[in-house]
Amino acid sequence: MIFNSELSGQQQHTTSPVVTGGSVIALVYKGGVVIGTDTLCSYGSMAAFKNVEKIAQVSKNTLYVSSGEFSDFQQVVKELAKIDRSALQYDDGVHPSPRDYGNFLARLSYKKRCKINPLYLQNVIAGFHNGERYLALVDIYGTYLESNFVTTGFASYFCKAIISNYWNENCTLDQAKQVIRECFKVLFCRDCRAHDMIQLGYVDEQGVHIEQAERVETKWDFNGFKTRANEKLHTQ
Amino acid sequence: MQYLDNYLQFKGGYDYTNVKRNELMKAQGFKEMPFTKTGTTIVGVLFDGGVVMAADTRATAGATVADKNCEKLHVLAPNIWAAGAGTAADLHHQCAHFNAKLKLQRLNLNRQSRVNEVITKLTSKLFPYRGHIGVALIIGGIDSNGPQLASVSPYGNYVYHPFQSMGSGSLAALGILEAKFQDGLTKQQAIDLAIEAIEAGIFHDMGSGSNVDVVAITKDGADYKRNIRSYNAKSYQKQIPYHFPVNNTPALKKYQFDIEKQELTEVGQEMEIIE
Repeated sequence: MIFNSELSGQQQHTTSPVVTGGSVIALVYKGGVVIGTDTLCSYGSMAAFKNVEKIAQVSKNTLYVSSGEFSDFQQVVKELAKIDRSALQYDDGVHPSPRDYGNFLARLSYKKRCKINPLYLQNVIAGFHNGERYLALVDIYGTYLESNFVTTGFASYFCKAIISNYWNENCTLDQAKQVIRECFKVLFCRDCRAHDMIQLGYVDEQGVHIEQAERVETKWDFNGFKTRANEKLHTQ
Repeated sequence: MQYLDNYLQFKGGYDYTNVKRNELMKAQGFKEMPFTKTGTTIVGVLFDGGVVMAADTRATAGATVADKNCEKLHVLAPNIWAAGAGTAADLHHQCAHFNAKLKLQRLNLNRQSRVNEVITKLTSKLFPYRGHIGVALIIGGIDSNGPQLASVSPYGNYVYHPFQSMGSGSLAALGILEAKFQDGLTKQQAIDLAIEAIEAGIFHDMGSGSNVDVVAITKDGADYKRNIRSYNAKSYQKQIPYHFPVNNTPALKKYQFDIEKQELTEVGQEMEIIE
């Protein structure tokens, strides 16, 4: 019997995402790479799942996060973890490096895009291997871009300026985290599908560290918002 | 054609007389003319005692730069300026039209123009045109009600906020504004913030570029700095006309030409070079 759905003639193509994750921001710092993401999964315009852990550890020194269709994210996490587990079977201490995961994901995404059935994701892979920091973006088409900083979703529009003005690749972990928190503050103010609970994770020489979710503080009560010039005029 | 004006005035509502004509024209293959847009970053920031507005200087026609140094900050009144994003022609003509209208009103009433007047007049003009007049403006000014900053969208919607940005680079500029705006800024802090926000648009938006213009409006007047920042200045400019350095070439002989006799004779002395 043929279980492969591709041959059944009833193939479904991903046309639009249903449950989506928000923006991801990843920055390289002096001793490693730090990723930030919010903890929200939206069901269209509804904030359906507000406490989701979206930073996945796929191996001892690799983090994987993505924005887009959440079910695709969960599936990819399983695929990447499978690679790491199958390497254990050889029992020779050799494990795929973060770049190997990045390449695998790029090939997988491209294959699915060529079949017009993409993984509806912007993927971010971060790692630290042999003293070198690794950060890459693989997008929905399979485009593979290694870089010092990566933003997905609305963060690409709002946050690139903040990152380029207040971050450099040799800053400390705390400075990089502060830049990410600032970016999510801005996103919560202006992106309708953003959330004020964020989660940070970083990978360095010692390995992977995923932190507790934290709330970003935003200010909504500027004087100019509370007392609008035109409203003042109307009530006089 | 007076009867038509009267008829339309009494009929009220929107004027749809051209809809059938437009549909016919489209069916006959008439294509709408492409227009020069200003892919733009403009910002306004309210501070203690006034308002600062800034803009980039790139005008685009599709994917090419039409004007490398256009002026996007328009004067509406001595105390009210507008920064404009959208269709360049619409912006220029609408701002000139309202400038004249406000000036006439000032001459008639002998009173300073007010920001809420400008907003009312603008939105009354834009709303009936259903967004076809492509002007997205940030209006900033100071009048008897204090400093005010508002933005007007092409459809006629207006909002008063202490910081605004519009244009294709508005998201990049808004990132900087949201991160760094505070109540109680000084004039210099507001100018620096506005310039940083425009820089964000210039470097991170493809529709914005070239230089930064800034105007700071206070009770004492409007302080307009054209091209306060320039990132793509030419590193070398040719001298026109070229000035030859003085006494660079030593003269060995001097000749004299007598026009009447049509004769060329050699003169013994060393020539003195005259500039």
